Amino acid sequence: MFSLLEEAGFTRVRSAVVPRFRFRKESTQNSAEAYGVKAVMMTAQKPEA
Amino acid sequence: MTDSADAQASLEAVLKDEIIRMYQDVADNPAGEFHFYHGREAAELFGYEAEWLDRAPPGAVDSFAGVGNPHLRSNVQSGETVLDLGSGAGLDAIIASWSSGPTGKVIGVDLNPAMCLKAQAHAAATGTPMECREGRMEEIPLPEALVDVVISNGVINLSFRKRKVVEEMFRVLKPGGRISITDIVSGKQLSQSIVNDPKLWAS
Repeated sequence: MFSLLEEAGFTRVRSAVVPRFRFRKESTQNSAEAYGVKAVMMTAQKPEA
Repeated sequence: MTDSADAQASLEAVLKDEIIRMYQDVADNPAGEFHFYHGREAAELFGYEAEWLDRAPPGAVDSFAGVGNPHLRSNVQSGETVLDLGSGAGLDAIIASWSSGPTGKVIGVDLNPAMCLKAQAHAAATGTPMECREGRMEEIPLPEALVDVVISNGVINLSFRKRKVVEEMFRVLKPGGRISITDIVSGKQLSQSIVNDPKLWAS
């Protein structure tokens, strides 16, 4: 997502992990961890004209 | 269309139905058990202020299915136009409207027309002038350079065409506009069995 935002023309792209995100079901959480799945917050700006 | 494009279009159609079914289920059965946290429990987990959750319609809070808190960095100002991409039952749109105020505007876009109606009813219950449009995030039903801020919560990951979604957010933003989104990302390529399973992808 980060690179997609930059490639689209966004600037000041920032991301941070959502610290408390997890799946309720343990089996889903385990699978998510195996795939490096995490929740992130992303901010970015469209340049001024 | 090529066979590959046909296959993707077919999978997207199935996925659309599965996404509508899953999140409609959350809205219709807020006491249900889902593999993700939802409702007030999830909102509190992600730092939504208790005051917001007390003030918002219970139906909007109970149906919340986000993965974080886009309001932490959205910095919505009075008079701004906000787009909530994948607005669901309307909680994030309603919270944003409290910052954009009566001179601002909040527009929701959701795949599911029933959720749009629900979000608008929730907004109306709080006196919030929210507009919701049925549409896909890959083809946002808004003209270019209309909005100041795009917020979104746990939705973009559901798209097979994330590049197109990002390009669409860029298109509808005014110059100098910004996004504040929370979403799920994967550090590894998902297996084809997951990609081809609408139930897994929709989750």
